[in-house]
Amino acid sequence: MGLGGGRVRFNVGGQVFETTTTTLANAGRDSMLGALLDSSWNLAPTISGGGGGGGGGGVAEYFIDRNPACFAVLLDLLRTGSLHVPPQLPEKLLYREALYYGLLDHVRAARWGAFDGDRLLLAASVPGRAPGDGTAIRAAPDGGCCVAHGGAVHVYNWMLDERRPVSLDHSQVNDVAYLDEGTLLIAARERLGSMMEAWPCSPRFNEYGIGVWDRASGEQADFFYEPPGCALGDADKLQWLDATNALMVATLFPKTDNCFIGLLDFRQKNVVWSWSDAGTAASLDDKRVLHAIAMEDERSVCVINQYDDLGFLDFRSNAGGVRWSSRSKLMNRKVPGEESCYPKLSTHGGQLFSSMNDSISVFSGPECVLTSTLRRSNGGAICDFSIGGDRLFALHNEENVFDVWETPPPPII
Amino acid sequence: MSSQKKRSSRIEPFRHRVETDPNFFEKAWRKLEDAIGEIYNHNASGLSFEELYRTAYNMVLHKHGPKLYDKLTENMKGHLQEMRTSIEAAQGGLFLEELQRKWDDHNKALQMIRDILMYMDRTFIPTNKKTGVFDLGLELWRDTIVRSAKIHGRLLDTLLDLIHRERMGEVINRSLMRSTTKMLMDLGSSVYQDDFERPFLEVSASFYSGESQRFIECCACGEYLKKAQQRLDEEAERVSQYMDAKTDEKITAVVVKEMLANHMQRLILMDNSGLVNMLVEDRFEDLTRMYSLFQRVHDGHSTIKSVMTSHVKETGRNMVTDPERLKDPVDFVQKLLNEKDKYDSIVTTSFSNDKSFQNALNSSFEYFINLNNRCPEFISLYVDDKLRKGMKEANEEAVETVLDKVMMLFRYLQEKDLFEKYYKQHLAKRLLSGKAASDDSERSMLVKLKTECGYQFTSKLEGMFTDLKTSQDTTQGFYAASSDLGDAPTISVQILTTGSWPTQPCSPCSLPPEILGVSEMFRGYYLGTHNGRRLTWQTNMGTADIKAVFGNGSKHELNVSTYQMCVLMLFNLVDCLTYRDIEQTTAIPAVDLKRCLQSLALVKGKNVLRKEPMSRDISDNDNFYVNDKFTSKLFKVKIGTVATQKESEPEKMETRQRVEEDRKPQIEAAIVRIMKSRRVLDHNSIVTEVTKQLQPRFMPNPVVIKKRIESLIEREFLERDKNDRKLYLYLA
Repeated sequence: MGLGGGRVRFNVGGQVFETTTTTLANAGRDSMLGALLDSSWNLAPTISGGGGGGGGGGVAEYFIDRNPACFAVLLDLLRTGSLHVPPQLPEKLLYREALYYGLLDHVRAARWGAFDGDRLLLAASVPGRAPGDGTAIRAAPDGGCCVAHGGAVHVYNWMLDERRPVSLDHSQVNDVAYLDEGTLLIAARERLGSMMEAWPCSPRFNEYGIGVWDRASGEQADFFYEPPGCALGDADKLQWLDATNALMVATLFPKTDNCFIGLLDFRQKNVVWSWSDAGTAASLDDKRVLHAIAMEDERSVCVINQYDDLGFLDFRSNAGGVRWSSRSKLMNRKVPGEESCYPKLSTHGGQLFSSMNDSISVFSGPECVLTSTLRRSNGGAICDFSIGGDRLFALHNEENVFDVWETPPPPII
Repeated sequence: MSSQKKRSSRIEPFRHRVETDPNFFEKAWRKLEDAIGEIYNHNASGLSFEELYRTAYNMVLHKHGPKLYDKLTENMKGHLQEMRTSIEAAQGGLFLEELQRKWDDHNKALQMIRDILMYMDRTFIPTNKKTGVFDLGLELWRDTIVRSAKIHGRLLDTLLDLIHRERMGEVINRSLMRSTTKMLMDLGSSVYQDDFERPFLEVSASFYSGESQRFIECCACGEYLKKAQQRLDEEAERVSQYMDAKTDEKITAVVVKEMLANHMQRLILMDNSGLVNMLVEDRFEDLTRMYSLFQRVHDGHSTIKSVMTSHVKETGRNMVTDPERLKDPVDFVQKLLNEKDKYDSIVTTSFSNDKSFQNALNSSFEYFINLNNRCPEFISLYVDDKLRKGMKEANEEAVETVLDKVMMLFRYLQEKDLFEKYYKQHLAKRLLSGKAASDDSERSMLVKLKTECGYQFTSKLEGMFTDLKTSQDTTQGFYAASSDLGDAPTISVQILTTGSWPTQPCSPCSLPPEILGVSEMFRGYYLGTHNGRRLTWQTNMGTADIKAVFGNGSKHELNVSTYQMCVLMLFNLVDCLTYRDIEQTTAIPAVDLKRCLQSLALVKGKNVLRKEPMSRDISDNDNFYVNDKFTSKLFKVKIGTVATQKESEPEKMETRQRVEEDRKPQIEAAIVRIMKSRRVLDHNSIVTEVTKQLQPRFMPNPVVIKKRIESLIEREFLERDKNDRKLYLYLA
């Protein structure tokens, strides 16, 4: 940076800090501090103490008219790469100052660690103000989230500040998906249920089949008509599988009496794999598939029933049944009669997550062993949860509040 | 004011903002405006970045973002308009330099302006989906300067003019060119493409279309191609020096189209210098260039290939049908081999060993070699020549390479069975006369034939070698077993298996009594050891060594054929014999006898007999005497038979006839094999299948196949289907 000695002195709001150009280089050229030290702005820098640019003891001093306490934290972040916020310092204040210096991304990166289902801590509970139940919560790639509530979608950035909500003139929002950090895709109920999943292309369905929309242009690109015997029209779950280039479609209880899970190949327009429990479930007490998710290796699909048993279906065999692995005995069954939510499944980084009533269970390893349970004392049952941006968001049914779970930064030693 | 106080405590900090100076924006903007002015005037050293940044921050924070953005746009536009005036004023060659200088200034200023407005860049611009400050500056430069009425055309003309001058050999300021095109690229690939690349390609196309027209009128093909290559290299170098790398492909396509593709036919077919000429004159360098240049042209290689193929076919046809050349078979084959060598080396060195060219070459050779049906014979004669004793190629390795080359020609032959026939004859001659130079070379040739055509092809030839080996053992056995031979002449018997050897029907001559005795004893010995065999003396094939003492006292050992021996032995008893006497006593067929008498009496230096009268032809009443005056420097005198190496016309017909006869059972066998597995087949399919099966040996004639089918129907191997006459059924 063309400064002698590599030392830099700042006077921030009256408090003097001294640091090195190396430390400041961590801020990057595209930050206020980077620009401040850039040679184009330092043709004749203010020299204090040394007098004269070439002197060995000459250290440049820059005055910055900002909060010194926050600067101390941010300078520490640049020095060590880790964020330590003193308890008396409000986070919002720190965020504001970080934005001034152009260091907000640094703060975000240091704020929480890489996602690990077994080390999650409850970071925040954000109360909602909308009446009625939330229907869906979705995590944004940058750590923000959005909650679908009746006819509106409440959007939160990663600092959990609420942004302007999106509302769609009283039509019911069915599902939401992030195309990227700044673009939200919303599926509203027009006539019948419709839902989207944002994958290379965005399929959604109506009563007859599944449509495909181009994610860039927003135009409809394809439509998959419902073949006989396969209920696609009101599927609960769509999931795009990259490795096989197929879309998994699951139509499940209670929308239909008979569950159907299929893989669609859009190039050949056919169902390449399917499973259904038609004919096997006789009474209400039988195990019924309530949610399904394709595992990350894309070789099997995991399903869950009303007793919170996990089951697996292998994509490679066409006629196989569900391989249930009962875990009912591991769990404390809830008192029947209390209002409950249907369980949901999700996968991330080789771990499987299932929500059940008021807790989320984390299963790890190829055998899906229960390794952690996320539970909060109040808030009621969890109706939806979503993982993204290294955070887990859980939406509670009763109090209209959502929890944010994140992995703390790695320990110092 | 009062109403705001009632709000919740969270909003309280906003109260101070309301009290801010109503002229805040104007004041703050003036500060920034002045600073930007200083920056454009290269006078930024007095500015405080922190202060300016904070000012801009406050403006955005106080919701003045839109206004700030508009003011900034307006301000930059103003500065750029000033710059435009000064660029427009620049004269001639200074124009580009001035443009460049201003571009550098603008870039530097833009960087600093962006630094000041970094906060706006981060917050206001993305949420409002505006163009970022830096990109805004570039867009303004593009619209205000590069695309302004007075500069746009002038810039393009200047650039194209400089490029044209460089093409004409002038030296231009390349670094200025580079920085100017770099500027266009920085403004976005569409600016570079629309404002420079497209017109550049158009101008280049017309330039090269004109140049190629000029060149082609006055240059030979090789020279033209050299120039085209040079132009291509120049353009590639130019792109690498001062254009976007993506232009390389496009300008190359233009040059290739204008200089090569548009003139391809004319260049390749050019009289006196085109492809044919290059091939004839072995101009490897030009051929290499042609190959590599026309690689870029669609259909280029296939055109070269087809011209080469037709040339090879044409010259080949002339070569094999020229009656002059047919006189010397060895030379004929040598010429073919040379031709093949020539084109092989052209393909290897100039056509980068291209497989498709090799294939084209092979099919051309196959085409013309089979135009002359004497080729199988000639090739066999050539091999005979090479494998005979006493040839120059004593080196076995040299022979080996020659044989390998011959095998290449052999592969082109369609009538391989004809070759086999001739090869058998020639091999038999070599083996029996003991003229085979090297057993190893002979065997290596056999192995080559075997790998090429399979076991069947060579089994009889191998049988010949085995016969010779066992004959040696048998002769030894004979001498070991019989002790009472006295002073009878030593004989060496070669027992030839019937069928393995090419035999001519021969009426055995009457042998001299001395020989007759020994040979009868041998017959007795042989039939005694082998049951159920028949032994026929092939007196037309043997040789003999005779010790002779002439009247003048000179002693010689004469190496003669069996027939000649029979004749000479007669002179042990009498001095003078007439032709008729000799014929009656020896019972040698007239043709052969005449030939052997000619060689005994009429060849200078080897005339052990004297004929009266001394005429060339032999008539019934001619008298023969021992030539007492015979002298020779050598003790051993080899008396050859006046023999024709090449087959005579009737012999040729006969061989052909025999080959045709031999083919019949082969065709029949193939038909039966096919029908046995297929049971039912129509005529055309049979013909195709049979041809496919027999192709490695010869090309069966469909008419012959039809005749064979009919013959098989007659002999009840096959029958026609009663419903569909086109179908044949196999009868088990």
